[in-house]
Amino acid sequence: MSEERALKKKSGLNFKDQRILLAFVIIGIVIVVSIINPKFIELKNIIQIFQQISVMGILTMAMALLLISGGIDLSIGNLMVLSAICMSTLIAGGVALPLAILVGIIVALACGALNGFIIAKSKCVPLIISLGTSQIFYGISLTISGGRIMSFNGTLDAIGSTKIADVFPVMLFFLIAMIFVAYVLLNRTKYGRRLVAIGGNEKNAYLSGINVDMHKIGIYIISGLFCGVAAIVFSARLDSVSASAGSGYELNALTAAIIGGITFEGGRGTISGAFLGCLFMGVVTNAMNILRVESYTQTIVTGIIIVIAVVLSNINNLRKN
Amino acid sequence: MSIDYENNKPVIEMKDIIKEFSGVRALSGITFDLYKGEIHCLVGENGAGKSTLMKVLSGAYKPDGGSIVVGEKNYKTLDPNLSQELGINIVYQENDLVPTMNVVENIFVGSEKTKKFGFIDSRAMFEETEAEMKDLGIDIDLNKTIENLSVAEQQFVKILKAISTHPKILIMDEPTSMFNVEDAGKVLTLAQTIAARGISIIYISHFLNEVVQIADRITVIRDGAVVSTYSNEKKDIPLDTITRDMVGRPVDMFYTKEEHEIGEVMFEVKGLRLAKDSPEINFNVRKGEILGFSGMVGSGRTEIIRAVSGADRRYSGDIYLNGKKLDIHNPADGIDAGIAHITEDRQKLGLMLGGSVLENTTIVGLRNKIKGFFINVKKEPPLIEDIIKDLNVKTPSVMQEVKYLSGGNQQKVVLGKWLFADQEVYIFDEPTRGIDVNAKVEFYKQMSNLTKQGKCIIMISSDMPELISMSDRVLVVRNGEITGELQKEQITEEEIIKRALGVNKS
Repeated sequence: MSEERALKKKSGLNFKDQRILLAFVIIGIVIVVSIINPKFIELKNIIQIFQQISVMGILTMAMALLLISGGIDLSIGNLMVLSAICMSTLIAGGVALPLAILVGIIVALACGALNGFIIAKSKCVPLIISLGTSQIFYGISLTISGGRIMSFNGTLDAIGSTKIADVFPVMLFFLIAMIFVAYVLLNRTKYGRRLVAIGGNEKNAYLSGINVDMHKIGIYIISGLFCGVAAIVFSARLDSVSASAGSGYELNALTAAIIGGITFEGGRGTISGAFLGCLFMGVVTNAMNILRVESYTQTIVTGIIIVIAVVLSNINNLRKN
Repeated sequence: MSIDYENNKPVIEMKDIIKEFSGVRALSGITFDLYKGEIHCLVGENGAGKSTLMKVLSGAYKPDGGSIVVGEKNYKTLDPNLSQELGINIVYQENDLVPTMNVVENIFVGSEKTKKFGFIDSRAMFEETEAEMKDLGIDIDLNKTIENLSVAEQQFVKILKAISTHPKILIMDEPTSMFNVEDAGKVLTLAQTIAARGISIIYISHFLNEVVQIADRITVIRDGAVVSTYSNEKKDIPLDTITRDMVGRPVDMFYTKEEHEIGEVMFEVKGLRLAKDSPEINFNVRKGEILGFSGMVGSGRTEIIRAVSGADRRYSGDIYLNGKKLDIHNPADGIDAGIAHITEDRQKLGLMLGGSVLENTTIVGLRNKIKGFFINVKKEPPLIEDIIKDLNVKTPSVMQEVKYLSGGNQQKVVLGKWLFADQEVYIFDEPTRGIDVNAKVEFYKQMSNLTKQGKCIIMISSDMPELISMSDRVLVVRNGEITGELQKEQITEEEIIKRALGVNKS
C-alpha cells in the first residue's frame, strides 16, 4: 500500500492505524521517561537519539524496500562494514578522501549487485543466499583489516562532528536524504510501483510485462547504495571500524521494518512506518540509558519489547482471520 | 429417489435467518429446509447469500435473527464444533487438503486410526478407504500424494474425507466448477449415491443443467432472500425459469451480440509447436472478429495461448500482426507487440490483491502509456477514471484494495488494466468464470466494443452459451491439437462437444 493511499483511505484495517498506534506508543514512552528524568526531553538528548539511529535508519530504509519487493537481505550489516573497511584502508594508504568514499560506495554497489544477481537468477530463497554472502563479506573484511580495528584518524570529522548552528549534526542530513530517496523511489517512480507489484504477486508482475529479474537485481544494488551511505555515517560517527562491527545491524533493521508494519510477504508497507519502527527502537534504547538500566538487562528488555511489538503489529492480521 | 415430504420431518430447518454485516443485510429472513436423503439445490447469483447461509450452518457465522431446528432442538446459533456434532459437513470450494500427504493420510488427518500405544494403523485406514471407494464407484490411487492428483480426483478425496465423518448433512459448494463434462458427471452420480444412503445434500452450483439433473428441490435466492422453491421430482424445471428468478428479470441465456463487419486477417500464428514433438498449430484472427477456443479443461487451449502471448516459451512457430512478424519471447515482448492477455485465475495471475484498483489498472500502462521515470500521483487517477466508470467497477474509490472487491469487479479491474494499455489483440482465457450474470453482460459489451474499434479477440471459454453467442468462429482443441473449425452458422453445442471429445474421429 502506498503512503498516499493509506492516508486517503477512510475505513478498514490499514497501516495508518498501526503507524498512529506506534507514534502514540513512542510519545507515551517519551512522556513517562521525561517525568522520571527530565534530561530525556532536552533538545540535546533528542538530537542524540536521532544520531544514534542514523546508521540503523538508513539500513532500515534499505530493508524496507527489499521487504516490500518480496525480498530480504541479511548481509547488509557486513556489507556496510566491508564498504567502511575499504574506505579506511584507502584513506590509510593515502588515497584522497572523496575517491576513497567513492570506491567504498562502488564496493557496496557491487556487493549488492552480487546478491541481487544470485537471488534473481537462481530463484533461491533470498534469506539463505544473503546469509551466505554475508559470511563472504565478513571474511573479506577480516582479510583486508587483518582482524584489526581500522581508524579513520579524524578524516571524516567534517561529517561526524560538525554541527550546523551548533545544534544540528551534519550526519543527520544523510539520514534525512536517504529517507527522502526511499520515499520518492517507492511512491513516485515507476520503478517503485513495480517493486510493489513484484512483492504483491510476482507472476502477475511478470505477465504484466515487468522484467522481474532486472528489478530484483536493481533493488539489491540500491540496497547496496544505502549500505555504502550508512558506511560513511557509521565511520564518521565512530571514527573507526572493525570487521565484526556490523553484526546485528541487519536484524535490527529487519525488526524496525516489521514493527513499522512491513510484512515478510511483500507487496505492502510504508517508508514512514519503517522510520517510526526505527525511531521506536532508538527511543527505547536511549530511555534505558537515561534510566541507567544495566547493559545486560537492556539486552533482555530490548528482546522482550521486540517480541511484544511484533506480536502487536500482527494483531490486525490475526483479527482478520 | 423420491422423498416423502408429508410424513417426514425435515432433518434440518432454518427459519427466518437474518445476518447483517456492519448494517448491511446479507440474509434477510431466509427459510430453508432439508429432508432425509434429499438433494436440495441452492442457486443464486454471486453475492446472493448462498455462502453466507452455508457459513451460518457450519457455525462460522452467528446469525442476527431466526432459528435453526435440528431434530427436536431449536438453536439460535451454531458454532463449528456443534455443527460437526450435529452431523453437518461441508465440501469446500477451496482446496483444504494437505498437498504433500497421500489420499488416505488426508482423509484421516485429525482422526487417525490407531493401534496400541497410539501408533498409526495405516492398514486399517487404507482398507476402510478402499472399501468406501469401491462402494461409491471412485477409482483413485490411494498412495499418490494430493499434489499429484488431478483437480477432479482431489475433489473426490474431499468428498471421501467429508463422508468419512458419517455426516447427516453434506454441503457441496460448487463441486464441479473446475471440471470437464465427464468428471462433472461423475460428481453428480456420486452425489446421488451419497443421497441414496440417506445423507441429505445441499448442493450449490452455477451449472443449472447439473442442478436440474440431480435436484429433488431447487431453491433460488436473490439478495439474501428466497425467491422460489421448486419441486423437481421429474427433473424437468426449465432453466429459463431458474435464471429469471436468479436475476429478477428474464435474461436470455444466449447473449445477443451486436453484429458488425469483419475485416482482413489481422493476427496470424503459423507452425506453432509447444515442444519438439507436439502437434503443429496454425490459426488466424480477422480484424473485428472474436475467435472462440473450445475444448475440455486440460485439452491444451491455455498452453497454446500462453505460448502465443509470450507467457510461456514456445519450441517453434511465427506470429504475425498485420503482416508483420512479431518477436515474442516473454510477456513484455507480447505487450510491446500489442497483445493483451487476460489470463485465467485472476487471483493468482491477474491481480496483486493487496494493491489498489489504481495500482492494478495502471501496471501494464506504466510500460506504454505513462512516460518518464516518475509517476505524477495527482495526474494518475484521472487517467483511469473513464475506464473504471465505463466498466462499471463497483468500488468506493480507486484507492480501494482489490481484495475487498467481489469476483466480478476484480475481473473488471483485470480487463481495465488491459484496456488502459490499449492493445490490438485481446486474448481472454475464461473471461467470465465465477462472476455473476450482470458482470458477464458488461464483459460481453466490452468485447463487442473492442471488435467495433477494429481490434481482434481470441477467447478461451468453457461456458457454452458464452462461446456460442460471442464467437464469430470457433476452434476446437483436443490433446493439444486443433481438431475442428466451426463457422458462425455451424456453431452449436453438439458440434463443439463432438469435436472436443473426438467422437467424429474414431
